[in-house]
Order: sequence, then C-alpha cells, then structure tokens
Amino acid sequence: MAYVALIPLLPALAFAVLAPLSRAVRNRMRWVGVAGVAGSLALSFAAFAAVWPGGDEGEATYRASASIASVGGVDLALGILLDPVSAVMLIVITVVAVCVQVYSLDYMRHEERIGWYYAVLSLFTAAMLALVLADNFLMLYMSWEVMGLCSYLLIGFWHEREEPRKASQKAFLTTRVGDVGFAIGLAVMYATTGSFAFDVVLGSAAGWAPGVATAVALLLLFGAMGKSAQVPLHVWLPDAMAGPTPASALIHAATMVAAGVYLVARALPIFEASGIALTVTMVIGATTALVGGLLALVQFDLKKVLAYSTISQLGYMFVAIGAGGAVAGMFHLVTHAFFKSLLFLGAGVIIHALHTQDMREMGGLGRRMPWTAATFGAGALALAGIAPFSGFWSKDEILYAVWKGHHYVVFALALAAAFVTAFYVARLWFRVFMGAPRTLAAFAGHADTDHGDEDHGGHDGGHDESAADRRGETRWPMVLLGVITAGIGFSAPFFSEFLGHAGHWPDPMIASVSMGVALAGLGAGWWVYGRRAGAVDTEAIKARFRPAYSALDAKIYFDAAYERLAIRPFIRVTESLAVFDRIVVDGVVNGAAVLWRTATDLSWGFDRRVIDGVVNGTARLSRSAGVALRRLQSGRVQTYQRYVLGALVLLMLLIVVKGA
Amino acid sequence: MIEVGPAAFMGLAAVLFTLGLYGAVARKSAVMVLMSLELMAVSVNLNVVALSRFVTPTEMTGQVFAIFTMVVSAAEIGLGLALVLAIYRQTRSIELTTMDSLKG
Amino acid sequence: MTETVNGVVFAILAFASIGGAIGMLTTRNVMHAAFWLLEVMVAIGGLFLLLSAEYLAVVHVLVYAGAVSVMMLFVIMLSLRRREDAVRPVDVSIGGAVLAILFGSIVYIAIAQYGDRVAEMPAEAPDTAALGELLFTRWALPFEVASLVLLVAVVGAVWWSREVDR
Repeated sequence: MAYVALIPLLPALAFAVLAPLSRAVRNRMRWVGVAGVAGSLALSFAAFAAVWPGGDEGEATYRASASIASVGGVDLALGILLDPVSAVMLIVITVVAVCVQVYSLDYMRHEERIGWYYAVLSLFTAAMLALVLADNFLMLYMSWEVMGLCSYLLIGFWHEREEPRKASQKAFLTTRVGDVGFAIGLAVMYATTGSFAFDVVLGSAAGWAPGVATAVALLLLFGAMGKSAQVPLHVWLPDAMAGPTPASALIHAATMVAAGVYLVARALPIFEASGIALTVTMVIGATTALVGGLLALVQFDLKKVLAYSTISQLGYMFVAIGAGGAVAGMFHLVTHAFFKSLLFLGAGVIIHALHTQDMREMGGLGRRMPWTAATFGAGALALAGIAPFSGFWSKDEILYAVWKGHHYVVFALALAAAFVTAFYVARLWFRVFMGAPRTLAAFAGHADTDHGDEDHGGHDGGHDESAADRRGETRWPMVLLGVITAGIGFSAPFFSEFLGHAGHWPDPMIASVSMGVALAGLGAGWWVYGRRAGAVDTEAIKARFRPAYSALDAKIYFDAAYERLAIRPFIRVTESLAVFDRIVVDGVVNGAAVLWRTATDLSWGFDRRVIDGVVNGTARLSRSAGVALRRLQSGRVQTYQRYVLGALVLLMLLIVVKGA
Repeated sequence: MIEVGPAAFMGLAAVLFTLGLYGAVARKSAVMVLMSLELMAVSVNLNVVALSRFVTPTEMTGQVFAIFTMVVSAAEIGLGLALVLAIYRQTRSIELTTMDSLKG
Repeated sequence: MTETVNGVVFAILAFASIGGAIGMLTTRNVMHAAFWLLEVMVAIGGLFLLLSAEYLAVVHVLVYAGAVSVMMLFVIMLSLRRREDAVRPVDVSIGGAVLAILFGSIVYIAIAQYGDRVAEMPAEAPDTAALGELLFTRWALPFEVASLVLLVAVVGAVWWSREVDR
C-alpha cells in the first residue's frame, strides 16, 4: 500500500522537473504535468478499490508516518491516512485535475508561459492531494498554504495586466486573514492536547473544556471561511476569476475552495464537542448560500456568475455540516466539484469563441455550439437541482438533514437560496444559449467552430488554424464531466454507506418540495428572460427595486466597507509611522553622526601637527613604490579579490603539503 | 541505508563554498556577488554544525558558532545591500566593473 | 530521528543545494538567481534538521530564506529601471574558475586526508533547551557582543540607505 504516498508525490515530482527548466523547454514539456496527474489518477483508483467497500468512518485502510524532526522533544511528522473520506476526495481531485489539464492543452496553447502554468497546476494538485491524505493538522496546514501560493500564482498568471495582479493580491491577503485564525486554532489545539495527529486530537475532543472546544472550532472555521470564501471573507473569489478559466475550474470551483469544507468535516468531533460552533457554521453557511445567490443574480460577467454560485454552493455545504449532515455536505462537495468544473470549462469555450465574458453580448449560442450547450446544460440543471442530475441528490440530502435537525429557519433560507439558484441558472442559460445573437461576434464570430483560438487576454494570432483537429482535447473532458454529472446522483445512498452512515433514497416530501422550488425558479427565470426578447422589461424591474438592486450591484458594500474600515486606516497608520521614522529615528542617527564629527575634528588638530611630519616622510618613500605597483591597482574589487584568493590558495597548498 | 559521515558534509560544504567563491569572483553584478558571499557563509555554517554534531555533540560549540556566523553575515548582507543602494543612487548602476574610482 | 543520518535524504538535499547553487550561478536573470538562492537555503535548513540542530534550522530558514532573500529581492527591484535589466549575460571568468577549482581541490585533498578521523555519529544530541542554556551562560558575553554588532549594522544600513537631500 506504500504506493499511496506516490499519489501526491507524482504531481510534486512533475513540478520539480518542470520548475527549473528554461521557459522554452518547459513549454514543450507540459506532458510531464499531464503524465504526473494521470499517474495519480490511476493510483487513486487503486487506493479507492483498496478502501472499498468502506464502511466505518473512523477505520483507516492505510496509514504511515515519518518524523522529519523533533523540536524540543516533539516530533513533527509527515503522515498519510487513507480512509473512505480521503479516498473519495482523491478520486474527485484527480478526475477533475486530469480533465482540466487535458482541456488546458488546447485552451492555453498560445500562452507564452504555458509550461509554468502546468508546473503550478501540478504543484497545486500535489498540495491538494497531500491535504486530503494528511494524518495530522500540521501537514494539512502546510499543504493548505502551498495551495494558497499556487492560487495566488495562477490568479496572477497574466501579471502584465493590472486586474489579475490586484486580484491575486486580494485573494492572497484575504485568505491570509482566515489562515491566521487557523494558525492560532492549531496553537490552541496543540496547547490542549500536545499533538497535531488526527486520532489524538479528534479522539480526545469530546473531553475538552467546552470553552476550549468552541475556541478551536471557531478558529478552524475562520480559516475554512477564508479558504472557502464564506461571508464575510468571500470578497476574493469573484475577483479571482481574472485567472485562466481552466485554473478557475480546478482551484476556485472544484478543489481548493472545498478544502475549507473538508477541514470542517475532518474536525467535526471538535465542532460536535462545542455545539455552538456547529450552529455558527450553519448560520454562516445559510447566509452565504443566500447572499452568494443574490449577488449572482446581478452579475453580467459569465465567470463571476459562476463564482458567486460557487460561494453560494459552498455555503450549502457548511449548512449541511452545521446541521449534522456531514455526509450530505461531503456528497454535495463531490457533485459540486464535477458540475461546477464542467460549467467553468464550458464557460471557457464560450469566452474563447466570443472574446468576451459579458453575457449581454452573448445569445443564441445553443445552435452554434451543440456540444458545449449539451454539457453546459447538464451542469446547469445539476446546479439548479433538477432530478436526475447530481445536484438534485446532494441538495436534497442537505435539505433532508436540515429538516431532520428541526432547523426550520435555515431550511427556509436554504429553500430561498435554491429558488434564487434556479433563477440565475435560467437567466444564464437564456441569455447565453437562447434567443437571438446580440452582437456580431455571437452571430458570426468563430462560434460555429465551437472553439475559439485564444483567451480574452491572449494574443490575436492563430485565427486561421483549423478548429477541427483539436476538438477532442477540450471536448472529451467536458463530455466526461457531463456524464459524471448526469449519473453520479444515483450513487447517493451508496456514498453514505461508503462513509459509514446509513444510506437512504430521497425522502418524497423533501424531494418534491425542492424540485418544486427549483422548477419555480427556472420558470420565473424563463418568464423574465426566456419567453421572447423583451417580454419583460428588466430595466423596469431594476428601477422598481432600485435600492435593493444597487446594494447588490455594489456587492452589498463588502468591498467598500473593507476599503473604508481596514485598508485606508492602515495606510494612515503607516503614513504616521513614516513621519515618526523621519523625525525620531533619523534624528538619532544624525545626532550620532554629528557627535562623531566633533570627535574627529578634535583629533584632527593633533593629527596635523604631530603625525603629519612622520607621514610625509613615509609618503615620499611609498610613492616611488606606488608608481611601480599602480599597475596592479585596477580599482576593481574583484581584481583584488583574485589576488587574495591566489594568495590563499598558495597558503593552503603549503599547509596541506607540509601537514602531510 | 548508506552511512553518511562527517566527510560527506564537509565535501558538500566544500563544493558549495567553491561555487560561492567562483560566483564572488566572476559575477559582475554587486547583488550577485553578495548572494555568492551568502552561499559561502552558509557552507561554512554547514561545516561547523556538522563537525559539532560529530565531534562535540554535547558542547554544541559549532551550533553556537553558527549562530554568530549568522549574525555577522546578516549584518554584512544588510550593510552590503545598503551600500549597493547607495552606490546605485550615485552611479545608476550596480555593476562592479563600473566601480573603479579607486584606480591607481 | 534515527542516530545515523539518512543517506537518501542527505543525497536529495545535497543534490538540491548543489543544483540550486549551480542554477544561481548560471541563470542570466538576477531575479531567478535570488530564487535559486532561496532554494539552496531551504535545502540547507533541511540538512541542519538532519544534524539534529532544529533551532538552527528554524532560525536559518527565517533569516536566510525569509529576511535575506526578501531583502535581496527588494534591492534587485529597487535597482532595476526596467524589467529587462534583470537579464544580463552570464559572466564567465576563466581565472576565477581556475582559482576556485584549485581551492576546491586542495580542500578536497584535505578532507580526503583528515576527513575520516571521526565517523561515528554520537547517539546523544542535546536539544534546543540545552543550546539556549549554553548560549546564555557560557556564551553570554559573545552573545551580547553579537547583538551590538547587529545594532551597529542596523544604524549603518539606515545611514547609508537614507535619502541624501541636497
């Protein structure tokens, strides 16, 4: 079973191979990245088969750990833990990663730095795989930070431009706020138990003082909120869409943002020991689910709609865990990873073809891009929660868990979020794929080829290339994900059993309510956007609900508030510190200098009378020598350095020869 | 398992030191020269710590020395970089070849 | 930690540090060179861990991989007017190479002659607490002097790098 360690190591190796190469060589070597992830995929299936048929949640199929150092008598260990949860995560990550890497072969091929893109993508995959295989919180935290770095690098991939650069910094700093909470939580955890290992920490969690358990749980939750873009730390994710679309699909939809959910699900015993923390998780999740959905309503940027929808769906997962349905949350994580990465890959094809992300400039793509429309449609129906697509099953399980937990307010919020979700899905669908083409690009463009040639930020070369010969590389990953999206829902009861819980088929009452709500949302969306062009004047609706619309349009003022409350005061503080620096610190330094000058002035008088006489005599003598030696003196430091080095070599030669 | 003795560490340190030495002599950019100096300082540290572990494990003289080396090289790098900046302000260049105003 | 140094780990770290040093010397981009130096520093930190010098490893990574590398990057960026200035030809110096190789081979001879006088790794290795105690008892005076050196260096660096207003 030692091959389990290879699962994260293969992509890491791909990174280690790619990173040191020169750009030109690296660009040709991108197959190394694909090969690494493909190897991980194969091994992941082997690992999954070894865990099958799963069962008891606490039972680990394989574990191994190696101590890398001991500090103050404490071992820092790198360890691997393979249990049903991590086996499922392995499959999800590697499948999506392979799809994204294959898709990128075509999608990113005009990029000058495609080799670097593949290197970072591989490193990211390695970190994510290490995160789900970690057997202690410290290793989880380290992988967590590596992922943050990769996310930063990929968001800022087009760093020549202003927007991605800003977005990458925003993402890095915002998640860092959460990470500080995570780090403090780890310290408290360590102070309590003296260990980071899952089995020690989680096994003893039930016996902790309630205050400690609550503190640790809330701090971990704070870290998870940063990574998983939960309100109020969600502001970075929409901006992160400035990165390449396939990277968004992998990192900002399927895997990294789900790491927060994974963390909370892993640390569930701590949350259960606290109790309050579970409620907080649920409330934050429900708020996020609704807020994210509402914000998605007013976006015109195709990718930002998907980003807000990701935020909202992650909120659903937190609701599930908070309501005691961790398995439902994990299942939603799995289905969401597949259908959301599918939607992103579809969005990438559309953006390539039309050279715009603005939905107002799209329309009527359904006939021109049948493959994209079909796969995107499967993803959209899954997102809206329509049976039998996967989203329906997982959302239904979440609603069931919330209902069973008697959290009726949250249940209502979740239903409202489901309605909003279905509504913006319909808006997206009808604006992009239905109706008449709104611009020339959508009408004539390259839309008929189903493939564009470069991303919105790329170059304008390569239009003439034939699209037909490379259809496979972008299409088959989407078809694969589409098939999974359509079919995986039926595994819902088996999934629960695999994770060691009783599985059940959807409860008829809940299922019909959620289906009804989703259909109502879709219907409302069709009424507004789909019936026929201009049937409902959206401008009139906007005008009618002006205050609400402008609040949503301004992202509910989160960014403005951070700007006002955190960023500007910080700049003011640094400015006043700079003034302090100039006055006080510089004063001290200058004062020291003045003192020194006075002292030297005093000694100079003595110098002139007594020493000069002696020196002048010596000077005459040395001048004649100097004239002879000046040819040695080039004035360049390194020439002197070489003399010194030569002398040193001679000296050492002498020592070694004599010593022997 | 391969037995790794002090000679291996000393050899590694020697290789690193030699590379640093070459860089310090050959590179023209002042920053590169400072980097090479750091490499040399670090290789000395490695040597000292390795020998301390093998020869005087309980007294840890090497570790203490390594700390002092770190202090000195940190001070050196701080001053060196400040100097580089000061020179850059004067001459708009950090190439060592342009700094020959001391030519005799 | 086992009592003998793990040969495989040593080989990996040695390869990483030597490779990084070569990368640093052969890259044309000063920026890349700084990153290569960072890689070497992290590898050396790992070697310190192998030598059960945990405190040194942590301080080393903090000081070299953290502070010094960042300072290097700052100076590189402050002294570049354009992005292209970072790329410069690799300076090859035959004289320097000959001298360095001479130096290296002499050291090699010395190691070959005297290096194997101690081969056994002593089993006991005091931990960080013992190092701290030594540092503040037997080495207290040098320790204080070192802090003074740092203070002087800080003042000097501030003095040199301040804006000269004329």
